[in-house]
Parts: sequence; structure tokens; C-alpha cells
Amino acid sequence: MNNKSFRNLAKPYVYWLYLLALLPVFVMVFLAFVKSEGIAFDEMGFSLESFALLTEPSTIVAFRNSFFYAFVSTVFSLVIGYFVAYRIFKSKFNNKFLVLTMLILPMWSNLLLRTEALGNIMEHNNILTDLLSRTGITLSIGIKGTPLAVLIGLVFTYLPFAILPIYTALEKISYSLEEAALDLGLTETKKFWKVIFPLSLKGVVSAAILVFLPSLSGFAIPQILGKGNIVLIGNVIEESFRNMNYNFGSLLSIIILVFILGSILIISKTDKEGETLL
Amino acid sequence: MTYPKATLEEYGYKDRKHLKKAFSIFGNVVVILTVTMMYISIFTLAVQSVNSSTDITSFESFTLKWYFNMFSNRMLRNAIINTFIVSISATFIATILGTFIAIGINAFEKKKRQRLMLLNNIPVLNADIITGISLMLIFSMLLPIFPYLFGPFTMILAHLFFTLPYVVLSVLPKLKETDKFLMDAALDLGVKPYRALIKIVIPAIKAGIFSGMLLAFTMSLDDFVISYYTTGNGFNNLSIWVYGSIGRRSLTPSVYAYSTLLTLVTLGLLLGNHFYQKRRAKLHG
Repeated sequence: MNNKSFRNLAKPYVYWLYLLALLPVFVMVFLAFVKSEGIAFDEMGFSLESFALLTEPSTIVAFRNSFFYAFVSTVFSLVIGYFVAYRIFKSKFNNKFLVLTMLILPMWSNLLLRTEALGNIMEHNNILTDLLSRTGITLSIGIKGTPLAVLIGLVFTYLPFAILPIYTALEKISYSLEEAALDLGLTETKKFWKVIFPLSLKGVVSAAILVFLPSLSGFAIPQILGKGNIVLIGNVIEESFRNMNYNFGSLLSIIILVFILGSILIISKTDKEGETLL
Repeated sequence: MTYPKATLEEYGYKDRKHLKKAFSIFGNVVVILTVTMMYISIFTLAVQSVNSSTDITSFESFTLKWYFNMFSNRMLRNAIINTFIVSISATFIATILGTFIAIGINAFEKKKRQRLMLLNNIPVLNADIITGISLMLIFSMLLPIFPYLFGPFTMILAHLFFTLPYVVLSVLPKLKETDKFLMDAALDLGVKPYRALIKIVIPAIKAGIFSGMLLAFTMSLDDFVISYYTTGNGFNNLSIWVYGSIGRRSLTPSVYAYSTLLTLVTLGLLLGNHFYQKRRAKLHG
């Protein structure tokens, strides 16, 4: 299996990753310190203008919003995700793969369409309340444009990312360990907290990161569900690149990237070969 | 003389039957609510797709006309075709290259392999918007040489970039599971290394390759942000078209029909496979 000549198969990939994953970081760092028109290098000069924009109240609000929404949606996703993953793990279905796939199925239709549909039914008058009103039930929840709407959108969009790694980690726990715990006189609750939960932490860490990062940086969900009332850092980055302000956009991207690299390091500590990432 | 019998409670046994039952009901409620929330948008899309009026706030009457008119909107048709061109070509290339890359990575010693996996995980964990911008910056630097670079080519390259790690990640564990001496046995029997790779190793990791391919296709089909930054020359995939249409408030119900149809087809394939496997297991006892 470990024929040394096979190593050559992976070598071009290393260069490919250097070129497309690492080089852009240096380009961004460079762009953050200059003033340029887009990426035209001929008329640019050293400038710290982007750093001045960082202290603008709107940017600070966007950062605060991003971390708040990402944190809250991560906590909710982890609690709900763990619960659901544990239920599936303990359930008596013999085809658990099918159950899991059913949970990922919503992810297979377009994210933007789903978010738009979710936004539609968050309006006061929508197609579902219209159908319900014909059966005599009047129900009206108009939360589109509120923080709650964005949170619901983030949690239930990224929930599959929380369920899967936790389930993978739970599945790897040998049943003999549970039997041993019960044999030694632990109650069901104690067994969970002393044996199962610590062993599934690897999956929880992966899940937390897989939910936290996209909620931190996404811009489509807050834009559609927040009706533009709620600005996250992803929206600011998108806007600056749209307005050809590559310098400020790059600076913000680097700041987000620092958090992402931190997460990658955490993952590489808890899960050395990326087993729970899938 | 009779002694009082000690009850279980006196030994410290606590009857938690009711508590357990309540917890189990609570658990079911949470799971049902969660699944409802996850499916409610899909359900809404389905309802909107059979509504005869283009108004999304009220249901007029049941119709299937949007399913038949799915491809009459030229923009939508092009967007759907482009999505499939990009996703199928990116998935195809990523599956083949990813498999060989995984074999290569597996041949490294532990330290080097872990460092490589760290690099491999960057596109997986990186924010979409940063991956998109990074690729756009690199491609923009090539613009002076290739002025019309942005378009299908850059989008396929970008999709290849973020789908390859998924294939690698799903093939590697399977490689580790296969018997280490399989390769040695093949070599002992006089097969050349690369021929053994194709004839022995690849069939052994088939399942991993397949799941990697499925994952790559899923990611590619649904991608919006990375495509948004790496496209050009009016080359739109479905997500970009939808994003533009949401901005202009001009979504046609045909797109709801397309999305619902896609969901139904995948659901059908999934259930079909499930029952097929079940029947086969029964037949073979």
C-alpha cells in the first residue's frame, strides 16, 4: 500500500493548494496596506485608510452583530443537534444512514431558494397562513426583518452540519464501554455525562466550528431574512468588493481568516486527520 | 415471626419511570419540531410550485403548469444547464484527481500527512466568501494575459478547488481501512505498482470514492458565494440567477417547480435504493 512512488501523486496538489489557498492570503495582506483601484497595481500607494475605516461605528456594529449571531446560533445548533444526533444514535432504526440522509435532504435544494421561502412564510400574510385560514385557523407571525428571523434561518440552515459530526463521533463509541459503565453502577444520566459525552466531544468541537464559521461570514441569509436591517461582517465584505474597495474588503477578510485559521488549528488538535469533518 | 421486607426504595432505588417517559416525549417533540423547521422551507417551495397564481402570498388553485413550463424561461433554462455543466465537470475531475491525491497522501509518513491534511482542510473550513474572493484575486492577476478569463472556465476551476478536499477526506479513511498487505500481495504475484493500484486498491476503496463524489456534487450544485465571485461574461448558474431575481423581485414559479422536482427525484432515488438494498438482503438471506 505504502509504495513511496505514490507520493508523487499528491505533490502537484500541494502546489495547487499553495497557489490557490495560501498565495491569496498574502495578496490580501498586501492589498490591506495599499490604496488601489480594484486590483490595478499601476496607480497605488501605501495607505492605512482601510484601518481607519475599521473604527467606523458601522463596521464595529457589523463585527459585534456577526459574533453575537454566530455565537447564539452555534449554541442553539449544538444543543438541538446533539439532541437529534443522540436520538438517532439510540433509536432502533436499522437503516440509520437513511434517517441521516433524510436530515440532509433539505440541503440539496438551493440555499437561496430555501432562505427566500423561509422569508416568505415569516411575513404576516403568506401562502401557508392563506391555506390555513381556509381551514379556519388564523395564524400570523410577522418576524421577517427581526433578529429572531435571522437566528432561526442560521440555526436551521446549518443544523445538519452540527448533527452529522456529532453522530459520527457517537457512532464510534463502543457499546462495551456503556455496558461497563452500567456494570460499575452508574445511572443512565451519569453514564451519559461521564462516558458518552466526553467521548463525543471531538464531534462537538467539529460541529461548533462547522456552524460558527459559516454563520460568522455568510451574507445571503442575513440579507434576505433581515431585510437589510441586520448587517453582518459578510455583508460589509461583499459591499466593499462590489464597490471596488478591495483594500478594505481584504482587511476585513484577513480578520475573518484569523478566526478561521484558529479553528483549523483547533480541529487539527482534536481531530488530526479530519475524520469528523464529513 | 415475620421480618418487614425491605423494599427496593430502601436500598436507594429511585423510581424514575415517569421522569423517563416525560423525557422521552419531550425528546420526540423536539425532534419533530426540528424536522418540521428543517423541511418547512422545502414544503413552502412545493406549495408555491403548484400555485396557479404568481403571487406568493395567496394560494389560488392547484396547477402543474409551472412544471411543464419549466424550461420556457430562457434565463432559467440557461442557468440550470450551466449549473449542471459546472457541477458535473467539476465533480468528474475532482473524483478522479481526488482519489489519486488521497492515495498519494496516504503514502506519506504520519507527520507529513497530518501537515498535508491541515492544508487540505483550508478550503473545507474557509468561509465561502473568503475562498471566493481569494480565487477572484488570483484569477484577476491573470487578467492582463487572458482578458476574457472569467466565465465557465474559472467557475469550474473554483468548484474543482473546493470539491477536491471533500473527495480526499472521504477516500482517505477507506484507504486506511484496507489491508496493508493487499498491495504487497499483488506485487509479490508480479503485478506492476500502478497496475495494482488500478486493479486492487481502487476497487477496495470504491465506497469512499462514491461517497466523495456524491458529496462533491452536492457541494458544487448548491454553491452560491464562490460561483458569484468567480464567474463573468454573463455566465450564471442557478444560485447567481436566483440571487439576482430575489433582488429584482422577479422569481418565476418555474424555479420553485425545478427545486421541488429535484428534491422529489433525490428522495425517490434515496428511498428506491433503500428498498432495493432491503430486498436484496432478503433474497440473499
